[in-house]
Amino acid sequence: MNPHGVVERPGPFCTIQDLGRRTGRRAGVAPGGAMDQRACLWANRLLGNDPAAAVLEVTLGGFALRFEVRTVVAVAGAGCGATLDGAETGGWRTLRVRPGQLLRLGYGAPGLRSYLAFPGGLDAATAFGSASAVVRDGLPGLQGRRIRPGEPLRWHAPGHRCPVRRVPDELIPPVADSLTMPLVAGYEWAEFSRDDRTRVFDATWTVDPASDRTACRLAGPALTTGPRVLDSTPLVDGTVQVTGDGLPLVFMRDRPTIGGYAKLGSVDPIALDDLAQARPGTPVRFVRAEPDALRRALARRESFFGIGDER
Amino acid sequence: MITFPGPVSALVALPVSADRDGIARVLALERLARDALPEVRATIPAFNRLLIEGSPSSWDPEEAEARLSAAVKECVRSVPQIDAGDPVSLPVCYDPELAPDLEDLAASAGLGVEEVARCHSGVAYLVLATGFAPGFAYLGDVDRRIAAPRLTAPRRRVEAGSVGIADRRTGVYPAAGPGGWRLVGRVPATLFEDPAERIARFRPGGTVEFRMIDRGTYEAYGG
Repeated sequence: MNPHGVVERPGPFCTIQDLGRRTGRRAGVAPGGAMDQRACLWANRLLGNDPAAAVLEVTLGGFALRFEVRTVVAVAGAGCGATLDGAETGGWRTLRVRPGQLLRLGYGAPGLRSYLAFPGGLDAATAFGSASAVVRDGLPGLQGRRIRPGEPLRWHAPGHRCPVRRVPDELIPPVADSLTMPLVAGYEWAEFSRDDRTRVFDATWTVDPASDRTACRLAGPALTTGPRVLDSTPLVDGTVQVTGDGLPLVFMRDRPTIGGYAKLGSVDPIALDDLAQARPGTPVRFVRAEPDALRRALARRESFFGIGDER
Repeated sequence: MITFPGPVSALVALPVSADRDGIARVLALERLARDALPEVRATIPAFNRLLIEGSPSSWDPEEAEARLSAAVKECVRSVPQIDAGDPVSLPVCYDPELAPDLEDLAASAGLGVEEVARCHSGVAYLVLATGFAPGFAYLGDVDRRIAAPRLTAPRRRVEAGSVGIADRRTGVYPAAGPGGWRLVGRVPATLFEDPAERIARFRPGGTVEFRMIDRGTYEAYGG
């Protein structure tokens, strides 16, 4: 089958993602999914796609896609530096493209990851109800690998037509110079020393360059390692774990489903989107969360983007 | 104990041991929780704990706590029923050349290598939890005679298919990597090549049997 487009250059790290998987968690399968779910959701919404349609996640730019068909796509995400045949297009919008045109996503403005959505969603294999590639685990289609140079792509509704749509300026999330992450205290929180618990909200950490899709590692003041955990415990999204060196890490989309180190609790799931765009060195602080406010914000997001209980 | 590790989730730690009895009661709790709570999106049982993830539009922590408390009482009181389904059967070669801790473990247990192999393979194990690595299952309980603590210094590399023992748990490393369990056997690594199959093989509460194979049969699998 003829491709609808060919990735000429994937950049440093480009994978197929969607909203990730819920059903496999029970069997130990990493959730996966777009690191910045808000940007992924906007890209699909601009095209009128299902919110869980498969997109490309482009990390650190360096990406070029040659179209083979007349179609429409959407770009979203912090600092995607999009150009079409060399002309700047801006992001958070749909783009009409013709066969032979070259779309590039660059790296320059703040942020780390951009999203490219296709009408009807990418045609990609799924496992446990999701097309999200978890490269470490070899899941699902493309054996879970990253996109390679020359990768042919097809999407479900290449003939889709829609007017040029843009995300309203006031709804485009700003990339902050520093992040304040609401933390729900939980897990072994009460077993950490009083000093540690105070330090969690007083200290400023920075995003460590060793961060990846599994975890955002934080550099800065060390805590004591906390209580000994006898058995691995099931993890929620955004779990903050303190590893042997006393430094906290925030688990991201390719996280394990259970964890055996002491944990402080979890951060606001919506704030993970901001963390996904935070470059190394970005200062990060924790503030005490009001769980019910986080729950209401999640419910509003799901209602706005039409996310349901399936997956 | 019921806690709330995130804005739309509850974690129940049952006041029971983290062995076969623990997971059996946790699985009973999982069934009760799925019936008692609206719009449960995911549950993760592991050892004596259960995580329940709800839906943001309907999750009410006070309601969840009340209903889960009642469910906890019920499954702590009752005798757990295990509905394990068909066992997963894995061939294991108990050859010291493939299992570097087998002879030491046998010696400290006061048993022969053959006896350790019979002891390890003669049991239907229960999946107590999955995780650590995708496709890894914590299985229990190992016969007391061959229970052995983790190595003090983990190995930098354990081969895929290696069968380890840690205390009264056993498990199979699905991929090569570091590991600290005492290695007593080897499942042919060819059984771990397909990622989706490897990951989907074990589910909490399922049963696993190891059947002893000789070196020739092991080699015939492609090692």
